[in-house]
Amino acid sequence: MSRAWLVIVAAVVLLPVVVRHAIATEIWIFAIFGLGLNLLLGYTGLLSFGQSTFFGSAAYVAGYLLKQYGINVFVVLAIGVVVGAVSAALVGYLCVQRSGLYFIMLTFALNQMFYFIAYQWTSVTGGEDGMPGIGRPAVLGVDFRQPLAYYVFVAALFLVSLWVMKRIVESPLGKILQAIRENEVRALSVGYNAPRLKLLAFVIGGAFSGLAGVLYAMLFGIVPLEAIGFVFSGNVVFATLIGGSGSLYGPVIGSFVFIWLSESVSVVWARWPLLLGVAFVIVVLFFRGGCVEAWARFWSWRAARRARVVPANADGAP
Amino acid sequence: MALLNIENLSKAFGALTAVNGVTLEVQPGSLYSIIGPNGAGKTTLFNLLTGQLPPTSGRIVFDGQDITGTPAHRIAHLGIARSFQRTNLFPALSLLDNVWVAAFARGRSWRGLAWRRTDRFHEVTERALAALGDVGLSEKAHQLARQISHGEQRQLELALALAAAPRLLLLDEPAAGLSPDETQKMVALVRGLKGRYTIVLIEHKMDIIMGVSDRIAVMHFGSVIAEGTPAEIQRNAEVRRAYLGGMAAG
Ligand SMILES: Nc1ncnc2c1ncn2[C@@H]1O[C@H](COP(=O)(O)OP(=O)(O)OP(=O)(O)O)[C@@H](O)[C@H]1O
Ligand SMILES: [Mg+2]
Repeated sequence: MSRAWLVIVAAVVLLPVVVRHAIATEIWIFAIFGLGLNLLLGYTGLLSFGQSTFFGSAAYVAGYLLKQYGINVFVVLAIGVVVGAVSAALVGYLCVQRSGLYFIMLTFALNQMFYFIAYQWTSVTGGEDGMPGIGRPAVLGVDFRQPLAYYVFVAALFLVSLWVMKRIVESPLGKILQAIRENEVRALSVGYNAPRLKLLAFVIGGAFSGLAGVLYAMLFGIVPLEAIGFVFSGNVVFATLIGGSGSLYGPVIGSFVFIWLSESVSVVWARWPLLLGVAFVIVVLFFRGGCVEAWARFWSWRAARRARVVPANADGAP
Repeated sequence: MALLNIENLSKAFGALTAVNGVTLEVQPGSLYSIIGPNGAGKTTLFNLLTGQLPPTSGRIVFDGQDITGTPAHRIAHLGIARSFQRTNLFPALSLLDNVWVAAFARGRSWRGLAWRRTDRFHEVTERALAALGDVGLSEKAHQLARQISHGEQRQLELALALAAAPRLLLLDEPAAGLSPDETQKMVALVRGLKGRYTIVLIEHKMDIIMGVSDRIAVMHFGSVIAEGTPAEIQRNAEVRRAYLGGMAAG
């Protein structure tokens, strides 16, 4: 197991000791959401500004099934993953032929469309009031209403998700998506149907978003209308960029920073988004690779300093 | 039988006919060169062959099969690979990943596309390394494509085409922008490929191709104005006129 995994497992164990269980749980849910986005954003170079479409759709469907039928949690999760993937296939199909600003605007516009459907369809979604009363049925005798039990469940699913995403980005597909990001014309020329593969990235990212959406609905017992709104889509982009879109672990770190800031600082200071804005500006100006790059640069800076100090001493030079 | 037949192929951009009724035949195993002044339509001809652009009229037959209008991403799978006149790589990927991606596209099977680790695809990795070796870039395999020199990027450009194990290799001015030394190296490289692949080579400079080509076609304003062996081309008065005029302008 690599050092990154040791750090993450340690964080999984320590987090519920340090922060409220709900926040700790939300961090890993948001991290799953970010992993899905980053396959598009970091690996394929597609800035999707509509990820909450898949997150929210899955949350509503799962919430409805849990409320009405109280079906098995694993079945609900599987359905959520499918809903996320299918909605992403729909949106992706319309978007992958576009590029640049058109692509971003289209993901955003389709997100708005889903938002207005949820807003209008009050009999099912509850409109502005959200869809409340979602339970967490027990699994194998474990009572998920216990915050810690649910935390452990979510953290385990996060670790599985991270492992799955690691396999995906280390597979040929991971390389091919990066090649498409780097140069779509050449990727076509060497034999890849770039739009089709981008669609695949959408579907995989949508599946991750769907999983996150269901876990989110179960965490708070409600699907708020915001769960399918553009602010939510923006937040996951934001968090991923702050963490570092160039690496597998970037969105995980980003989720940590983002949720922790928004939940902790917002209590004491209502203008906390300002802080996020500042963090974002710093990232854009100095660390395009987010926290991950800042960290790597810090270590190479230290190593360089050491290297300079050592020979100076050895020579006895001033 | 010819490996490639181009029959009366044309491409018009509005009023400009960039490729005008071109007919040629490339025999398997041969090195076929296309020369001509700037704007003669050489690159456009390649763009038609590789599906980057649809032709206005005419036919392209590859290995007895009509491939006119086949989209770009399917062409590679038929066994046609090209290099570009303007370097066209994956800048932030390592040299090995650049060729690996090109090699994988033509792999025997895409099973495990999204799940198997890339180092498990031995055959693909071997082909990728061999392509880097062919152009003399093995030592730099783990550097990023954007970090190497222009000359090396031109070599990598060629390696991407080789990694696909093509049956037909289309090289668009592989020596473009190279210094005289680098050009010599590239000429030697292309000479080394001769016989291993069927090659169509676009080149600007007459002197380079006279020694290596089996046959030469001269393009001018979209049309083939002469076709034949290097000796025949050298003797052709029309070529001399077109070429001297074109070169003086360019
Ligand atoms: N996509 C396009 N749209 C419009 N005109 C084009 C397009 N591509 C090429 N042309 C025009 O077609 C003509 C032929 O261009 P082409 O690039 O094929 O020439 P070439 O023989 O490769 O020249 P060079 O030696 O400079 O590479 C030029 O006049 C060019 O401006
Ligand atoms: Mg050209």
